[in-house]
Amino acid sequence: MLSELRYRLRALFRRDRVETELDQELHFHFEKEVEKYVRSGLTEEESRRRVRLAFGGDSQIKEDCREARGTSFIETTLQDVRYALRQLRENPVFAVVMVLTLALSIGANSAIFSVIDSVLLHSLPYRQPEKLTRIFMTSEAFPRFPLNPFDFRDMRTRNRSFESMAAYTRSDMQLAGSSGDPIRVNGFRITSGFFHVLGIEPESGREFDTNAEIPGNELQVILSNRLWHTHFGADPKIIGRKITLNAQPFTVVGVMPPGTAHPGNEYHAVSYGDDVDLWSPFAFEGDPARRGSHYIEGIARLKDGVTAATAQAEVFSMMNAIAHEHGDDMGHWRMLVVPLDREIVGSSRQMLLVLLGAVAIVLMIACANAANLLLARAAARQRELAVRMALGASRTRLVRQLLTESLLLALTGGALGLLLALGGVKGLVSLLPSNFPRLHEIHVSTPVFLFTFLVSSVTGILFGLVPALQASRTDPRQSLHEGGRAATGSARMSRLRDALVVAEVSLACVLLVGAGLMFRSLLNLLHLDPGFQHQHVLTANLWLPSAAYKTSPERSRFYEGLAMELESIPGVSSAGLGSDLPWTGWDDNTSFSIEGRKPPPHQDFGARYHVATWDYFRALGIPLIRGRFFTREDNANRPKVIVINQALANLYWSKGDALGKRITFDDHPKDSDWLTIVGIVGDVKDKPESTNTHPAFWWSALQTPFSQMSVVVRANADSQALTQAVGAAVHRIDPSLAVAEVQWMGEVADATVATPRFAFVLVGIFAGLAILLAAIRTYGVIAYSVSRRTPEFGLRMALGAQRMDVLLLVLRQAAVLTLSGAVLGMVFALLVGHVLKSMIYDVNPSDPLIFSAAGVFVIAMALAACCLPARKATKTDPMIALRAE
Amino acid sequence: MGDERIDLPQGTLDLLILRTLAVEPQHGWAISERVQQVSSDVLRIQQGSLYPALHRLERRGWIKARWGTSDNNRRAKYYELTRTGRKQVDVETEAWHRLTVAVGQILESM
Repeated sequence: MLSELRYRLRALFRRDRVETELDQELHFHFEKEVEKYVRSGLTEEESRRRVRLAFGGDSQIKEDCREARGTSFIETTLQDVRYALRQLRENPVFAVVMVLTLALSIGANSAIFSVIDSVLLHSLPYRQPEKLTRIFMTSEAFPRFPLNPFDFRDMRTRNRSFESMAAYTRSDMQLAGSSGDPIRVNGFRITSGFFHVLGIEPESGREFDTNAEIPGNELQVILSNRLWHTHFGADPKIIGRKITLNAQPFTVVGVMPPGTAHPGNEYHAVSYGDDVDLWSPFAFEGDPARRGSHYIEGIARLKDGVTAATAQAEVFSMMNAIAHEHGDDMGHWRMLVVPLDREIVGSSRQMLLVLLGAVAIVLMIACANAANLLLARAAARQRELAVRMALGASRTRLVRQLLTESLLLALTGGALGLLLALGGVKGLVSLLPSNFPRLHEIHVSTPVFLFTFLVSSVTGILFGLVPALQASRTDPRQSLHEGGRAATGSARMSRLRDALVVAEVSLACVLLVGAGLMFRSLLNLLHLDPGFQHQHVLTANLWLPSAAYKTSPERSRFYEGLAMELESIPGVSSAGLGSDLPWTGWDDNTSFSIEGRKPPPHQDFGARYHVATWDYFRALGIPLIRGRFFTREDNANRPKVIVINQALANLYWSKGDALGKRITFDDHPKDSDWLTIVGIVGDVKDKPESTNTHPAFWWSALQTPFSQMSVVVRANADSQALTQAVGAAVHRIDPSLAVAEVQWMGEVADATVATPRFAFVLVGIFAGLAILLAAIRTYGVIAYSVSRRTPEFGLRMALGAQRMDVLLLVLRQAAVLTLSGAVLGMVFALLVGHVLKSMIYDVNPSDPLIFSAAGVFVIAMALAACCLPARKATKTDPMIALRAE
Repeated sequence: MGDERIDLPQGTLDLLILRTLAVEPQHGWAISERVQQVSSDVLRIQQGSLYPALHRLERRGWIKARWGTSDNNRRAKYYELTRTGRKQVDVETEAWHRLTVAVGQILESM
């Protein structure tokens, strides 16, 4: 065994030596044989001639000896690789196109698959994440509505479906900086057992117990690992330390491990991920009998064997019972229990699946292209293969040779593809909107890369092999006789090639239509009148700590002062303060009574509420329809007023009637409890892609000042200077306030179209790629056919055909292929369009304009690709062409 | 070269080479000459089969090669049996005898 190994190693590594020895040995044999003949009386010359005749070629013997040495596998492979490299060097266009095709398909596929794998397939970083569910109330108008805290508490004690339940609500805090300005941190108030539900243990300390839910015990805090590092220097003795939040002393009871992911929420949304800085206890304050306000969201872990649907039914019957106990009923409200993963990935799921479809189409086209290239090449090489077979190469040897070539291409393509995938994933992540679910978890996944690599290589190998087998089956004599020309065009092969072209053109059509639909949708979104003007508007967020701003007058003084400070900044044309900004997900609603009207049974009058200072609307560019905006005089000393939007005006009053009408929030209002409608403003779309506007009204900020406020400054000024000026204005009034989320309204607006733009850009790139590949393909097939038909054209021209006739002849062939491809593609696209329906805004999925444009474009591209070979055909010189025959 | 020459049955070439080398170390040409002589010109080993066979036997470790000088002072590659090679000669010879006896019996009895 060992000696055999030694022998083989020597044979392999001392190959030259072994070969020389073999030469010498054979030479010795030759000489001895000659000697023998000479001894028998022949002349030296005659002897040599005879021996040489008897010997035949040395090379076959040497080859057999190599085989016998057992190293031929490696040697032959090396030889094949060298040969393949030489072949590819001779045919650089083929090699480059093949490698690029493979690289692109492997790279693009791995990148998209990686995103999908990270976002859709990887489980969430919680214990048994499939058992986690979110709990909402739901109705037609409010698909995901938060819960009332006391309702939640009752459900928690009664439920049988869940192993554990918790609730949470957004509650940002102001952290007194150890150095310099105070900062705003993302915070949530959570009930006891919140992390237990998620299945995450604090890294040190503990989470809140039920004691913390009792009012008065809420000055406790759990820190995120990030905040612990960035602001507390990873102090190991942090547990038990007091830190100042919202100007109050909070005791640190726990620090979470790194990467503790927020499960995402709806109300004042923070999307899924590691974006929360700290958690404080949720205390059940107030009167449990009053259950009108809804602002906490439920999360719960299902018991073993209980489905979300069962739990939803149970939660609904519980809520019905609870409502009845409080003399109320659920009306049109239902309960919603959604698996957490579906909630997090939600609408992105569909976009990713559409992208997956797009990339699969590109992969198919690329594979078809590769197959076609290999087929054409094999046909062109049939003569070469025939020669080699005639010289004694065995069939397996030829197949191996061609396989080596295919593998070489596949490996090179794969390596390039990996680079593309790495770059591609980075590119994709940077293109994705920042609130995209699980954005930071996206990375190139190894199994995914291996999978795509395998798919592409197998395609390469398969199609490299099929023609190899076919070629090796042909009779070498025939191929050689016919000059290698006729043998290239077996009818079956050319039918296969034509079918591949038709398939590619049709797939390209599908992608182009998809890209067209998305582009129209994007244009619609961009040109949508949002109901306000977002250009030149700088925004920021502020929050007044309740410890420092206990009373309404204190807060309204701040509002008034800051609004005036902002107005006086040079370059500012108007400035205001409001509870929120458009398109940021603010969705706080209330019910009210209208003077002299009774609501329909089981219903209330209701609307979304906001707060605004006198110039808020002007600063945002929201137009006044009737009546007036607020003024500085609409303060606490004056009769209460509201401004409503058109949607609310149209909902409860007929045209223009709303002005001067009064509403109230009290069951037994005094005269001062009534609010008069003084103005109607234009509708601002809820979201950029929503067609309607939720009915809403605004309180005057000087009468109902909230702690949470957004700054809106319309100015033609340099961004940095303006940002500094706004910060300075705030700090002139209160230096302890943190100014957060300073950004241009344009960025807010941009962020909302980021996802559709992302989808369009990608599908557009894929469509471009597909068309390019299809055009190259068409070019290849037509050029090939022209080169084969040159004698025919020559003959036709010799018989009197004009150049035009020949041109038409070629173009007709191309037109048949591309037209059938386009028609087929349109049919597919009609089917695909319906899948896209939910992703496109205000576009008919079978829009005739887009369909015809896509069709014309694809056909034009394909025909353009044929122009070159068609022109070549018309230049055929009949004499040369006929002589070649 | 007569018509009486017969093709070597599969596997016998190795046995003939090994048996020849069992007498004394030889170079390739001598092996084929020897087989031809001893078989009275009936068996003839073509060099196209001889050298691959020698390489195969060398790989199996049954023979080993060394360079020596031939009768007229030319460098030649001499093959000799290894220890396992010697055992192999016995094994193969034994197997061959059994085979020929068995084949003979069948041919006689029918």
